[in-house]
Amino acid sequence: MTALLRFDDLSKSFFGVSAVDGVTLDVPEYGVLGLIGENGAGKSTLMNMVGGVVEPSGGRMLWRGEPYAPRDAAEASARGVAFIHQELNLFFNLTVAENLFVDGFPKRFGLIDRGAIRRRAAELMEALDLDVSPDALIEDLSAGERQLVEIAKALHRDADLIIFDEPTTSLTPRETVRLFEVIGRLKAQGKTIIYISHVLGDVAALCTHIAVLRDGTLVEAAPAEAFTIPRMIHAMIGRELSGLFPARTARPAEETVFSVAALSQPGVIEDVSFEIKGGEILGLFGLMGSGRSELARILFGLDSHQGGAIAIDGRPLSGGARERIAAGLAFVTEDRRAEGLMMDAPIADNLSLVSIARFGRTPFAMIDTEAVEADTAAIADQVRLKAGNIRRQPAKSLSGGNQQKVVIGKWLMQNPRVFILDEPTRGVDVGAKYEIYVLADRLAAAGGAVLFISSEIEELMGVCDRILVMSQGEIVGGFDAPPFEQSAILSMAFRQAA
Amino acid sequence: MSEPARSVPRPLPVAGPGGAGARSAPPGIGRADGARAHGIAAGARHGILARLSRRAGDLLLSDYFVLYLSLAYVLVLLPFLPTLSNPANLSNVLSNMWPLLVVAVGQTFVLTIAGIDLSQGSVIGLASVVGGALLAVGGSGAVLENAPLWGTVLTEEGGPLAGVPYGLLVGIVAMLVTGAIIGLINGVSVAYLNMPPFMVTLVGLIGIGAFAIWLTQSENIRPLPDSFVELGKGDLVSVYLGAQDEPRIPRRQIYSFVTYPMVIALLIAIGAHLLLSRTVFGRYVYAIGANRRAAEISGVPVKRIIVAVFIISAVCAAAGSILYSARLEAGRPTLGEGAFLLDVVGAVVIGGTSLFGGKGKIIWTVWGVLFFVLLSNTLNLMNLSSFHIDMVKGGVILAAAMLDVLRTRLMRERAI
Amino acid sequence: MKRLTTFGVGAALATMGAAIAAPASAATICFAFQDLETEFWVAGHAAIIKTLEDEGHQVIERNANEDANRQLEQVRDCIAQGVDGIIIIPQDGESAVTIVKEAQENDVPIAVFNRPPSDLSRGIVVVADNASIAGQAVDFLAEQALAAAGEGEKLQPLILVGDLGDPNAVGRKEGFYNAINAHKDRFETPIEVATEWDAATALANLEAAVTANPEIDLIFTSSDFLFPTIRSVLEPRGMWKKRGEEGHVILGGLDGDATACKLIKDGFVDATGVQDLYFEADEALKAILTAIDAGEYAPNEVIEDPGFALTSANIGEREMDMWGCVLLSEGFLDK
Repeated sequence: MTALLRFDDLSKSFFGVSAVDGVTLDVPEYGVLGLIGENGAGKSTLMNMVGGVVEPSGGRMLWRGEPYAPRDAAEASARGVAFIHQELNLFFNLTVAENLFVDGFPKRFGLIDRGAIRRRAAELMEALDLDVSPDALIEDLSAGERQLVEIAKALHRDADLIIFDEPTTSLTPRETVRLFEVIGRLKAQGKTIIYISHVLGDVAALCTHIAVLRDGTLVEAAPAEAFTIPRMIHAMIGRELSGLFPARTARPAEETVFSVAALSQPGVIEDVSFEIKGGEILGLFGLMGSGRSELARILFGLDSHQGGAIAIDGRPLSGGARERIAAGLAFVTEDRRAEGLMMDAPIADNLSLVSIARFGRTPFAMIDTEAVEADTAAIADQVRLKAGNIRRQPAKSLSGGNQQKVVIGKWLMQNPRVFILDEPTRGVDVGAKYEIYVLADRLAAAGGAVLFISSEIEELMGVCDRILVMSQGEIVGGFDAPPFEQSAILSMAFRQAA
Repeated sequence: MSEPARSVPRPLPVAGPGGAGARSAPPGIGRADGARAHGIAAGARHGILARLSRRAGDLLLSDYFVLYLSLAYVLVLLPFLPTLSNPANLSNVLSNMWPLLVVAVGQTFVLTIAGIDLSQGSVIGLASVVGGALLAVGGSGAVLENAPLWGTVLTEEGGPLAGVPYGLLVGIVAMLVTGAIIGLINGVSVAYLNMPPFMVTLVGLIGIGAFAIWLTQSENIRPLPDSFVELGKGDLVSVYLGAQDEPRIPRRQIYSFVTYPMVIALLIAIGAHLLLSRTVFGRYVYAIGANRRAAEISGVPVKRIIVAVFIISAVCAAAGSILYSARLEAGRPTLGEGAFLLDVVGAVVIGGTSLFGGKGKIIWTVWGVLFFVLLSNTLNLMNLSSFHIDMVKGGVILAAAMLDVLRTRLMRERAI
Repeated sequence: MKRLTTFGVGAALATMGAAIAAPASAATICFAFQDLETEFWVAGHAAIIKTLEDEGHQVIERNANEDANRQLEQVRDCIAQGVDGIIIIPQDGESAVTIVKEAQENDVPIAVFNRPPSDLSRGIVVVADNASIAGQAVDFLAEQALAAAGEGEKLQPLILVGDLGDPNAVGRKEGFYNAINAHKDRFETPIEVATEWDAATALANLEAAVTANPEIDLIFTSSDFLFPTIRSVLEPRGMWKKRGEEGHVILGGLDGDATACKLIKDGFVDATGVQDLYFEADEALKAILTAIDAGEYAPNEVIEDPGFALTSANIGEREMDMWGCVLLSEGFLDK
């Protein structure tokens, strides 16, 4: 098999710190290369060099054997490179067809030829088996459909190399399946694909070749058959993880800490009841739109509910988030960028935000800064935060996993009784995921109750004591003890016969 | 889901695949590397050059940056404008600074929560009328006879507080309360009715301004008591720099340095600085500006803080009104009209406080106001025509805004 | 456009400026004005600047853009620069008092031009006597009306009153009544039309008044800027006629702007009261330069401008004393 693109001792350093260090690697033509590595391993820098965004500081690239050194993104695009990002580059207020043609509308008599646009768009979408009208607005499409439009754009430009960067993050399981079908079809059409993902199972299933980066260097590259998931993890993090999940250190106690009874909000959730005991991690599985995140918001007092009751240690909860925090509730939101962190503020300010009132006698009294510094430093240690100066470094400079540790840490400072974790490992790499599981276990071991909401069945199975399944706003069933069976959980979520 | 956040129109991906997209570093993977890529722009190299550029960067990021900028500006102009360093002129620059500073301190709080308070100007006008009407020690029916205030509050003998013991104090408190009420209305509209601050305070700017003018039918109220006027320019320390043996010291050679406005403004600024930087309240203000939703979820009493911030802003405007009214020795409904608000917001933003919230310091505002006042003063001293003054002023503000962009970029790079 | 005009007016004025006695040495004068929003201020501004410069004095100009606080700061900056004297056109009477005090406390002589401070006792203050000026104009109107009327016939006068919060408006109304009451037996009680210094208000009220009393013989407006409004009411009723034509209403005003000058020349208007802008400028300058020469820091003096009436009778000789006619001759209305 020949190489469409070859990296030849390619390096890139910023301020003398190397981000990519002497990588030599072939991207086989007509193949699917899985590129894996922890955050900061150099995947993005490598891809940015392919895309003409970053100029290599050493080595070279060869495109079908010819030297390839794109000066800018436009040149890379002209050579046949297309990027499909997790955050899509689409205009949400324009139609599908318009998005396909934004950088060059076909014209007739000096006017945009709408007929031609529509015809070509329909053609492209048929090739992808995408059943939406070319005149549909992007904002009305689902996340998966939007991604297919982005792929259609790449096809329209007749790209040879299509790079997928974490494409499944915002997709439902069904959409993910469809995406994989499309990738198979692209491969059959003679496209070459680079697939970047943290979901190692997908990489193993989809790719013909796998390359592992760590600290800017290529650790391993081989045909996919040579890899098992533990081997991939070992290569990525450079050490063994004792399995994907930590062993649980605590058993659920007898007494109930968190109880939810007959909670209802018309059109959102219906008759939701469950209990969590001290030391217990309760998993809640639901597909997108099942009402899992809405339930979390209602539990935390961010949205209202009409019927039912919520209690911690038998004391009923009422009021808004502020009162519930005081009663011992903590909430790690699924959207840490928009709701979890002050991205531009220093890490320490993020960590102390929830509990800051504790450090001043009144809101207008001076804060005991030394105590705040000591406590935030202790928490940063406790969650094993990898950061420099937490009083100066802004949260946004951290990797996804470390950002999530900050979100968890700010709640830890408040010593809550009940933790609601909504998708706590989304966009987090393998090593950091493991540490978040360890944290969840420790919260439980300290006697707290943990509600672990996720759309990744595997992690619920690996971490939880019990799993409930939610669908269309209702708890449709549950599984009381490990070992759990993945297909049973999934079919319950789809409301098929269990 | 984060869909709503994404449905903002994106810049044209003219660069094609891997172009603009790759730059808008996706969360997770691309972040650190993408941000590092900015670093090359700074062109830092090893050795002395790197250290020098680092030093220059430190200066740019310092809390005192705008102070250094002001000093540099003065040093550059001094050879051409010797009057600039003349004690009388320095005394002027200082005295012009204080009232503006008091108002700008309030605006700093509002900008820090990503709001804006356009009603400050009209609060100044209304508070001035309220203070004037209550405190006046006389009045002229010929001027004010059509004013609704005439005969009801104000008569030939002056306002109801004329000659009353502690009347001055009551009058001042009334002015501040006027501000607090308007701030309360603004804050409640923004926090509880979810109205945009720009609209709410724009309505305030127009409506309250018109109300103040209606109260006096656009006339000014005077005379005000001497004790009040003292607040506008009363000296505590003055200096005479001439020879000691002169029998008569010409009055124009006595310069005031420590004045009541200075003491009042500095007390307010120091209090505000401590409030914003050292208290739980201040942390909450920053949190709301940085990410309102995250603040809400973290248990910050967002709505109450927003109301408090708007009250602070309006009370500061009323305090500024005391200084301005005393300075001009009249209750003036038109105080704070016109381009005044631009001076306030301009000074705060030049200081470094962001219009987008989450970033602001009182000390920055002090230097911003100093720079702004120096700018007006030097443009006056250059004897430019008024057309040219405004053009130059616009240019200088633009340059300052560009420096701010540079600072923000540098800060982002340093964060890695 | 306006700037061009100011130079034109200045040039015309330069010839007259020679009348002022030159001081012993060249002085630096700070001229702080509140704004240049009307043609009257443009003309006044040009009169002062050009005259001072022709005398060899240095002029520092400051425009406060209608902000009293800014004007105070500008005057202080002038004082810090060490100017010898200050001339201001203040934003209003109250801030004028404060600024005069500020200058005098710093031993700098100051003159207030045209808009009087509410306290006349300090500073050199040039004021126009509105009552006297209005009286002169209305005297002429009354004579004309009586001459044209039949013996024993009683005439109906009408006055457009300004905003009575403005002392100028009050003075003008007073002057009008003084002149009319001198011929009490020949005039009916005047009809008063409120304008609030607003053209739209004036239009509505005048329409109503003329409809109710079609037999009007004499109209006096408290300001010349309302002539176009008056015309739009009279013309459709056949009452907008030149002198000597059948149905001519005796018409007069006060200010002396370019439109009034043109209307007098064309025969529609009979007289307008004029603030003698050039007299005022000359007097203000003379007083301040005298004080500077005498080393007097706080000169106090009230200079009254008696004004005059420019009428259809004297327009030939006094035309160029009226600032509006000077502007007109520079082609102001064509621009």
